[in-house]
Amino acid sequence: MIDALSRLCVQAKRTRYSRSFSGLLIFLLLTLNSELLFSQTMQSLLTPDTLKKLSMEELLNVEVMSVSRRAEKLTEAASAIQVITQDDIRRAGATSIPEALRLATNLHIAQKNSHDWAISARGFNTDLANKLLVLIDGRTVYTPLFSGVFWDRQDYLLADVERIEVISGTGGTLWGANAVNGVINIITKKAYDTQGFYGEAGGGSQLRGSTGIRYGTRLGEKTFLRMYGKYFNRDEAVYPDGEEASDVWWMGQGGFRLDSKSSEKNEFTFQGDYYNGQANLSAGGKSDQQGGNILGRWSHVFSERSEIRLQLYYDKTFFIQDVSESRTEDNSIVLAPAGTLKDNLDTYDLDFQHTLSLGTRHHFVWGLGYRYTHDEVKNAPGLAFIPEVLDRNLFSVFVQDEISVFDNLSFTVGTKVEHNDYTGFEYEPSMRLQWNLTSKQLLWTAVSRAVRMPSRIDRHIRIPTPGFAPIVENLLIGGANFRSETLIAYELGHRIQFGTKVTSSFSTFYNIYDRIRSTSQSPADQYGLTFPFFYENNLEGETYGFEWRLTYQVADWWRINGGYTLLRDDIRIKSGKEDFNQALNETADPRHRFSVRSFINLTKNFEVYGGLRFVDSFKYNNGGVPGTVPKYSELDLKLAWLPKKNLEVSVTGQNLLNAQHSEYVISSPNPREDVERSFYVKMAFQL
Amino acid sequence: MKFLTSIFWLGFSFFLFSYRQPQPEPSNEYKVKAVFLFNFSHYVEWPLDVLPEDDSPFVIGILGKDPFGSYLDETVKNEQVKKHPLVIQRFNRADEITACHILYIIPTDKDEMKGILDRLKSKNILTVSDASNFARLGGMIRLYTEANKTRIRINLSAVKKEELVCSSKLLRLADIVESQTH
Repeated sequence: MIDALSRLCVQAKRTRYSRSFSGLLIFLLLTLNSELLFSQTMQSLLTPDTLKKLSMEELLNVEVMSVSRRAEKLTEAASAIQVITQDDIRRAGATSIPEALRLATNLHIAQKNSHDWAISARGFNTDLANKLLVLIDGRTVYTPLFSGVFWDRQDYLLADVERIEVISGTGGTLWGANAVNGVINIITKKAYDTQGFYGEAGGGSQLRGSTGIRYGTRLGEKTFLRMYGKYFNRDEAVYPDGEEASDVWWMGQGGFRLDSKSSEKNEFTFQGDYYNGQANLSAGGKSDQQGGNILGRWSHVFSERSEIRLQLYYDKTFFIQDVSESRTEDNSIVLAPAGTLKDNLDTYDLDFQHTLSLGTRHHFVWGLGYRYTHDEVKNAPGLAFIPEVLDRNLFSVFVQDEISVFDNLSFTVGTKVEHNDYTGFEYEPSMRLQWNLTSKQLLWTAVSRAVRMPSRIDRHIRIPTPGFAPIVENLLIGGANFRSETLIAYELGHRIQFGTKVTSSFSTFYNIYDRIRSTSQSPADQYGLTFPFFYENNLEGETYGFEWRLTYQVADWWRINGGYTLLRDDIRIKSGKEDFNQALNETADPRHRFSVRSFINLTKNFEVYGGLRFVDSFKYNNGGVPGTVPKYSELDLKLAWLPKKNLEVSVTGQNLLNAQHSEYVISSPNPREDVERSFYVKMAFQL
Repeated sequence: MKFLTSIFWLGFSFFLFSYRQPQPEPSNEYKVKAVFLFNFSHYVEWPLDVLPEDDSPFVIGILGKDPFGSYLDETVKNEQVKKHPLVIQRFNRADEITACHILYIIPTDKDEMKGILDRLKSKNILTVSDASNFARLGGMIRLYTEANKTRIRINLSAVKKEELVCSSKLLRLADIVESQTH
């Protein structure tokens, strides 16, 4: 992902002469804050109708006793949420979190090269895309450099992931200022669900080698621990002409999780991870990343109607990345010599939440949060952040009340108020209405406001050109007055279950954005040059569309799900303002997406999976030279043999329809990189 | 801020109009168990002769002090099993039981439990309880809570002895055990 930063840098320099600057300025969105529990989890919400909708597997997973009871289904209802279960992940043969996320039909996922992905919901999937909030066990994973996610350092032993909740649509009220277009919540299993020894190993043509182990043990009557480690290395992506792009990638990660239920009323979780990885860059050089985190969480139940949760974590992440030399297009002048960019980020986060039922009708959730980040960048000659060292504070408070107006009608209202060091106070209110037409049919609607706070890139980036100083010192600088981007989102959704076998879920949205990032030019100097360019908030516009998902349990042994997403956008320059990029840089989104996935138990011992996806072509304007990603269809297949309950041997083919296909365009300085057809075999066992 | 103020007012007025005293409710544990009892009616097959008439009710019985409150009744309200209306019946003693298809037995001591299970023999009743060792004593399904989640344990031979058939889906989710032999 950080490749994008260096690309940006290089492009900026070469376009000084070529004037094909249109790509340069990407960068979106937002940041901050975590509210682990989107759910209201109130006991009185576990109505017969709600529980009857659950499959037996899901019913077995409902936490019945007390602490952190989360009736996910309930909150799923009144938003465009999709849940990727452990079973889905395993059966689809996903080998990374982005691959698992492909199972959610409300996300656009595009692999850029061996180790980078663009992931977004409801549009704005630009090179440093990110109008999305991503949490792993309540820990926000984003970089305040550009408010996006480095997908190449978010990993877990996938067998220990309990589920991934993917919410398209804004979740600012509960989740805060990152959650503009969606929230991804990755939830790992509790330690008592991962007892014993688990091991897996596999390898193939793209995923060269992969291994993972976990050991779970009981430390006390109600205290459980697991430890895990994993490692993989992956082959290069390829250029369109089939030549290898020399961006091999490896990564190792290890960690632990301890869950203790000291009494019926108290539950503690203590967990941590450490990772280290390295990717070669197709532009030359490499990128090293390492980091770790440690998190503690305490839940306490006062009564069936009142419980609190307190969470504290520390996260450290570090990378060092080669930034290659840049020259003018005719190679005559070295604008900036090669160098390295380093970033060392420490995050401390405290989060408190209280859920409280009053009467039979009011279910309150309120909470407080504080986050402190300390970011230390070591600038490269051609890519810099000024100031290099930056401390930021973020305070937040939110309250939400879900009111049961009638038995089948509830109204939810709430707001989040945040204070950040860039723009001061921000408000993210929302209203939501949920109407259970019958026990199997639900209609919901919502109006929400969300903001994308400035990130370091918006305010502090520099693309210096020491080789061209003093005529031009920087091609691009952050906007000193860059403000928050805002969204007002209108949503309407419908969910229906036909019999016990078919579920349809439809959500439509109309999003109105304001103050979206734009790029302005400085007044012309004596040579007629208009550098440095700088960021402003001169764009506005709308996106709209719908997401439709269908699940069909054809038979005991056969399950199908599929989805279709339509997305249109109209982003434009505000009247009387300017944008050097003609409002083209903030979107890179296919209009149509379609996927269908089939899970078959062939016999007692054989499982077959097939997943077909279609992604429409889309225009991409972020790379210095505009490009189009052609539409594509791809197919994944997995055949698994389970000779015993605790042993699985499988062979998986990914992207089988084409020898190679492209999902994203990064047009310069290198050609785009394609994803290849690949195979791997894997064995997994549990003792 | 005007927008905010108005939604706060809206929320507040709802609060004033809708405050009511809480009703006693079963714990979540029993809510989930209630829905499992209901689900069993769809995942187990009974011999055809246990529901002779088209309108014979399908009976879920509770033997002992009812932990479900009205929740189980709400769960089966307007529900059917193969066109038979679902009803809940409560029993104090095992010999009161005549027509019953699923019976939830409130835990009691081991000897009494054995006595109850003996008396239910050949009645094609799916017996369910959360009593420890229930399945091993010859009961069919033990529905119990462990690590905060509900678990199912099935004594398959006891189920077969009463000519009942559990669906494979149910069996997949359950631990299978055998009766203790004496």
